[in-house]
Amino acid sequence: MIKNNLVKRQKSKKLENTSNGNVMIKMTHVKKSFGDLVVLKDINLEIKKGEVLVVLGPSGSGKSTLIRCINRLEKIDEGEIILEGTNIYSQDMDIHKLRTKVGMVFQQFNLFPHMRVIDNVTLSPIKVKKVSIDTAKQEAMELLKKVGLGDKYNSYPHELSGGQQQRVAIARALAMNPDVMLFDEVTSALDPELVKGVLETMKELAKMGMTMIVVTHEMGFAKEVADRVIFMDEGYIVEENEPKELFENPQNPRTQAFISKIL
Amino acid sequence: MVGLGFQFDLFVRILPELLRGASITIQLTAFSVAIGTLIGLFMGMARISRYKIFHIPSTLYVEVIRGTPLLVQIMIVYYGLPSLGLNLNQFTSGILALSINSGAYIAEIFKAGIKSIKKGQTEASMSLGLNYMQTMRYVILPQATRNILPALGNEFIALLKDSSLVSVIAISELLRRGMIVYSRTYDAWTPLLGVGLIYLCITIPLSRAVNYIEKRWEIHD
Repeated sequence: MIKNNLVKRQKSKKLENTSNGNVMIKMTHVKKSFGDLVVLKDINLEIKKGEVLVVLGPSGSGKSTLIRCINRLEKIDEGEIILEGTNIYSQDMDIHKLRTKVGMVFQQFNLFPHMRVIDNVTLSPIKVKKVSIDTAKQEAMELLKKVGLGDKYNSYPHELSGGQQQRVAIARALAMNPDVMLFDEVTSALDPELVKGVLETMKELAKMGMTMIVVTHEMGFAKEVADRVIFMDEGYIVEENEPKELFENPQNPRTQAFISKIL
Repeated sequence: MVGLGFQFDLFVRILPELLRGASITIQLTAFSVAIGTLIGLFMGMARISRYKIFHIPSTLYVEVIRGTPLLVQIMIVYYGLPSLGLNLNQFTSGILALSINSGAYIAEIFKAGIKSIKKGQTEASMSLGLNYMQTMRYVILPQATRNILPALGNEFIALLKDSSLVSVIAISELLRRGMIVYSRTYDAWTPLLGVGLIYLCITIPLSRAVNYIEKRWEIHD
C-alpha cells in the first residue's frame, strides 16, 4: 500500500537539496503543438521525489498539456521527458507500464459510470497488474477508507456527490501504487462546499510523501502544501519559486498581473 | 372463395404451415443478427481506427453494402458464388447475405455508439495502464452497447422483416409459405394478411422488449 512505500520518506523541505538521484521527472526543452497552435514552447523542469509542485497560470497557458505529456496522453514534438531515469519515449519503455507509475486525476472525474465504486478502483489492479480479485478488493477498501468513502464501495458513481466522485477517482489512481500523481484542475468542476474534502485528501497524500504535480487555482492549497510553484504563460514557465515568495513577491510582470487578479 | 375477404377458417387451416415458415424466419434472423453483430462490432471499431489498413476496407464494406439493394446481394450470394466454385444451400446463402448486409448497418451503429462515449473515459482508462483492447472491452463497449441498444433493437426488427426477401431464393420462410398457400388457393388476401399478422406478433413484443431493456440498463453520467 502507499503508506508502506511512503512512510520511509517523511516529507521534508530539505529533500530538494539532496543529490540528483532523487529526481523523479526531468523535462528538457519540451515542445508541443496542436496544429498551428504551439502550446508548450520550451519547458525545462525537474521534479524531485516527494515534491509537491503546483502549476499556476491563465487558461490556455499550457498547464494541462504539460502534465498530460508526462503520462503520454499527449505526445511531445521535441525535447525529452525522463521519468525515474528512463526516457518515456524510449523503445524499451512500455507505455502501459509507464502509466501505472503515473497516477492521474481529471477535472471531470471520469469515473466509469457503469461500474460500482469498488470496481472502478479494482479494474486496473486486476486487469493490468494481475492482482488477485480478493487482494485488489482488500486494497481498494483500504484506499476508500483513506479517502473517507469506506461505506460507498457498493454505490454507482451517479449516486455520489462530485466531491465524493473525485475522491474515488483519487483512490482509483492510487490503487496502482503510482510513484507520482498528476492532478488536472481537480476541484474546478466542484461546488465550493465540496472542494475542501478533496483538498484534504490531497493534503494527506502530500503528507505521506507522494510526489505530486498539481494544476490548480486553489491558492490556499498552494500556499499550505506546495514545495514549489511554477507560473506558466503562453507555453513557457515564466517564474518559479517557493509559494510564499511567488505569491508575495512575484518578479515577472505577468506573474504579478495574474497574482493580483486572483488574490 | 375468391374475393370474399379474410377467411378465418382458411387462416386457421393454414396457420400451422405459416408458423413453420415463421420458425424459419426467426432462425434466419437469429443467426444473421448474431453474425451481423459480430461483423458490425469489428467493422465499427475498424471504421474509427486511425490505421488505414483497418479504416479503408471497413469504410468500403459499409459503403458498398449500404449502397446496393439487399435483394441484389441475396442473388449475388446465391446465384453468383457457385460460379466461383462456392456452392451453398439456400438457407446458408440466406444467412450469409443477411449477415453481411446487417453487419454494415450494425457497424455504423457501433461506430456512433463508441463515439458517443466521452473522451475522458478513454483517457481515464488509458491513464490507469489499460491497453486499447482492455479499454474497449471493459470501459467503452459496455457503455456504448447500452447507448446503442434501441438502434440495435430496431436493426434486429428491420432484419427480421427484410429476411422476407430471401423468399426469392426459395427458402421456405414466412412470406414464401404465404405465397405457396396463395398459389394453391387463389386467395391472396387471407394468407398474406396472415403473414403480416404473424410478423406483427413477432415485432411488437420484440420492440417492447427493447424498450424494457433500454429502461433497465439506463446509465447515469
